[in-house]
Amino acid sequence: MNGVEQALMFGVDSGTAILLPSLGEMVGQRAGVINLGTEGCMLAGALSSFIVASETGSIATGVVAGLVAGMLCGLLHGWLTVRRGADQLASGLVVWFLALGVTSVFGSGYTDRIVTGLDPIAIPGLSKIPWAGPILFDHDILVYVGYALVPLTWYALWRTRIGLSVRAAGERPEVVATAGGRPQLIQMSAVAIGAGLSGIGGAQLSLSLGNWTNNMTAGYGFVAVAVVLFAAWRPLGVLAGSYLFGVALATASVLQAHGVGVNQYLLDAMPYLITLTALVLLARRGAQQAPEALVRALTHAA
Amino acid sequence: MPFPVSARVSRTTLAVVPLVAASLVLSACGSSSTKNVAAASSASGAKASTITTPKIAVGFLMVGSKKDYGYNEAVYDGSQAVAKDMPNVNVITADNVPESNAVTTAMDSMVSQGAKVIFASSYGYFQYAEKFAVAHPDVIVLHQGGFQKDAFPANFGTYWGQAFEPVSLGGMAAGGTTKTNKLGYVYAFPIPQTIANIDAFQLGAQAVNPKAQTYLVNTSSWCDPVKQSQAAAALLSQGVDVLTQHQDCQGTVINAAKKAGKYVVGYHYDAQSLDPSGWLTGSAWNWAPIYKKIIAAAAGGTFKGSPYNANWVGDFAHDDNPLTLASIGSSVSADLKAKITAEQTALKQPGASVFKGPIVCQDGTVLYAAGVTPTYDQINSINCLVKGVVGTLPKS
Amino acid sequence: MSLTSEPGAETETPVTRDDLTVEFDSPTMVEERPAVVTTGESLADRIRLTDWHRTGVTVGAYVAALAAFGILAAVKGANPFTVYHSMLNSTFADTGSIQQTFLRSIPIVLAALAVAVPARAGLVNVGGEGQIILGAVAATGVGVAIGSHVPGPLSWLAMGLAGAAAGAVWAGIAGVLRSTLNANESVTTLLLNFIANDIMLYLIYQPWKDPNGSGQPQSKPLDHHAILPKLFGSSLNLGLIIAAVVAIGVWYLLQRTGWGFALRVVGGNPEAARRAGLPVKPLLISSMVVGGALAGLGGALNLAGVETQLRPGTTITFGYIAFLASYLGRHNPAKVVVASVVFSAIALSGNGLQISNGLDGQIVNVLLGLIVLAPLILAKHGKRSA
Repeated sequence: MNGVEQALMFGVDSGTAILLPSLGEMVGQRAGVINLGTEGCMLAGALSSFIVASETGSIATGVVAGLVAGMLCGLLHGWLTVRRGADQLASGLVVWFLALGVTSVFGSGYTDRIVTGLDPIAIPGLSKIPWAGPILFDHDILVYVGYALVPLTWYALWRTRIGLSVRAAGERPEVVATAGGRPQLIQMSAVAIGAGLSGIGGAQLSLSLGNWTNNMTAGYGFVAVAVVLFAAWRPLGVLAGSYLFGVALATASVLQAHGVGVNQYLLDAMPYLITLTALVLLARRGAQQAPEALVRALTHAA
Repeated sequence: MPFPVSARVSRTTLAVVPLVAASLVLSACGSSSTKNVAAASSASGAKASTITTPKIAVGFLMVGSKKDYGYNEAVYDGSQAVAKDMPNVNVITADNVPESNAVTTAMDSMVSQGAKVIFASSYGYFQYAEKFAVAHPDVIVLHQGGFQKDAFPANFGTYWGQAFEPVSLGGMAAGGTTKTNKLGYVYAFPIPQTIANIDAFQLGAQAVNPKAQTYLVNTSSWCDPVKQSQAAAALLSQGVDVLTQHQDCQGTVINAAKKAGKYVVGYHYDAQSLDPSGWLTGSAWNWAPIYKKIIAAAAGGTFKGSPYNANWVGDFAHDDNPLTLASIGSSVSADLKAKITAEQTALKQPGASVFKGPIVCQDGTVLYAAGVTPTYDQINSINCLVKGVVGTLPKS
Repeated sequence: MSLTSEPGAETETPVTRDDLTVEFDSPTMVEERPAVVTTGESLADRIRLTDWHRTGVTVGAYVAALAAFGILAAVKGANPFTVYHSMLNSTFADTGSIQQTFLRSIPIVLAALAVAVPARAGLVNVGGEGQIILGAVAATGVGVAIGSHVPGPLSWLAMGLAGAAAGAVWAGIAGVLRSTLNANESVTTLLLNFIANDIMLYLIYQPWKDPNGSGQPQSKPLDHHAILPKLFGSSLNLGLIIAAVVAIGVWYLLQRTGWGFALRVVGGNPEAARRAGLPVKPLLISSMVVGGALAGLGGALNLAGVETQLRPGTTITFGYIAFLASYLGRHNPAKVVVASVVFSAIALSGNGLQISNGLDGQIVNVLLGLIVLAPLILAKHGKRSA
């Protein structure tokens, strides 16, 4: 396996911890709610899944715990913003601070544990495809969940009645209400489900590393939020943005392992620069694509 | 800028009354780590070699989690051994203290709790610790791992061990076990200790396996599991089959080796239990002896001018290296184990050194000519990677 | 990368954007917007303050926040009353701890005002963290380069200006991107935080690394001339006075100048402001630039007064704490300052909690969150302008 293949393969791995939260965040933003607390919901998911997996020995139960913790986290944000009319960005940061503190306090007993079990599963046949096989089809199950969720999210949002209500709630909640729908319920559910995916993203992080450390998401959640804007609220864009970020993150390690001296710190900045540039390049288009209620929330944020 | 003594004293006095009240309530409800320690010491105090000192409070500052299976846990273990074996010592600990002015405020809090000796255990605490010592002449401040080039204030000292000694033994275990002749080293920062460790690891490895090479990846963080796991994965897919590391926390790297069915050489803490079959050996800090000596000197009023009021460095030769060889795993062959033990004994002889020349840098320049034995100060300022190490250091 | 080949891109029915997209000045939008503030905010605030019911609810909210925090502390085995006691003790109990609290609040107050100023124009600056970092970076660059060549006051001035300029540029980028390309500034400022941190790390690990620092990632220390002088033998420094003066200046700018008024008009309704002939884009950009300058100055003062040397992680989360403080103070300068000082104290009290109570120091983040959360729970904020 050469360096490029390695970078791509690791990029898919670390990109998944961004893809899952980012898909979730896309659902929430489609419903008109931005959640900077995604970072916190990831932490909540990472710790909950780690504790549960560590105590029960079951990775699957751990992932479910991550999902539940993420959803609870999202419910808090959804309730504050949708029901209480709180500023979305401030509420998101509050959720982040709460999660940062709570996970640190309750995670301190778990920093010296290791959980194993979320191991790569090579998909028979597919993983033997030349070049692409090992890059795409030799990962842990949550990576495949990420693959599956991209078309599923698209289908759910654009091909189902529920998806239609979510998008309508994100455009003109008052129209939904007039039509007899319950936009607030839809928005809160979307945020909660989205944050549930963030929780699974956090679970992928802690369970695949097999280790819990304070603040281990280190900004991934914020990136996930940015990727949604980068992607102009499209599942494929989210996929591309997440893996781009993952590959950029992995490149520094891969280059070094090949004996190539790199400027670690400027390389570290690359994913953010790429996301920023893409945001700027796509800004005009993005502004037109933006869910109307989200635009209102952000421009009213002050 | 020295803190005016008058202000400090009045502040301490002001703080004493509520603090006494607070600690009474606290001991009644029983929640702090120090309380637990006190209980532990009374339970097992009879058997341990207790050291009686005048009553004194001692603070320990850690940069990471006290349960990281690594550097900080080793410090914490040391502090708890002090609490257990020195009944008159009140141990105060603070972990997750970042390397910023937070160090100063944490030390302030410890002093207001009555601390007279403070161990600042992270490398990046150095300046804060030294400044604090200057500002608080009545508090003895020690820095773990630093190296003071200028004159020492009478209440300041650094302590460390010749870490590269056991690390080179770990290198032997790695070099003798590898099938691919590729060893991986995941490190945080290119600081002198780390450079010396990387070099020593490679020197140890090539002593038993001339074909062994050490591949480097740095993570620029004392504990970033994501970066560590990527670094480990990158190394493993390069064909590396023994991983070692120099971060504070080591769970991720050990887990990466375990998952891949490869070997690991630990650093900071004996973590054999995490991966019994993959664990070759490692280096583990045993801080308790030096902590106790320093505290005894401080409590007895003999700190000033003592070896601890300087750059104290323990080593194999004096049998006081705080970094010890960890347990040797079952994957290490008996023959290799014998070689490692023999080398450990050899390093205890006067004049022996891991870095005894000839030592050649990556680019072929001679670092130490044949027969030259560098001093610790020289080793602590090596700025080249030895031949056999693959990778470069970030320029400085 | 092609976004056009994506599923659903062509077939976005039945809810089409054309049906739903409303013009910026459509009646619905205007109705949803906060009313344009035309009277002095301070007057309005005074009226609110005399509203006893409202005050009662607010006080109740904070008491509830403290109670919830106490419960968490109790769950972790600490006596809540001892916890509050040691928090007070390590922050406001005596001159030493009060000094530490005010020292810590210098960058946080300025970074919070850096949120409040653009907020007047309806912009969201989540980039205080990055602006603080680059302010410290610029101050270090200038301070180290100057060394002992110039007298102290000149180097303090140079470092302060450099820090403010760096913060201004950093926030200005987001301001320009917003007003020219409509890139959402809350997201761009957030991303710029991470880039700023990497710039700092790059500098202190390589070009600026202290050759006498035994390899530690840190810049050369400032010459002692360049370090801000201490005040009256305390541990406080000149930075506190500068920050106080600047805070008063910000209040004056926002409440008493045409610029401050124009910002509020823009923040209230940009379209109306445009129609009224206000230069909306320059106003938006200037609000970000001024905000960034404030945060940058905060970073510079923290560096020149407290840290005296650039190291990784010297500003961890100051910018985000400041954002919440500004939000809690409803972007009103006086309240923002008070909230910032309180938040600085809370952030600082983690030490005391850990050392005296055996709690995890990070628990203070929970209290920070709860204090912002409580008013949100008890008092609906929805349609208020702030």
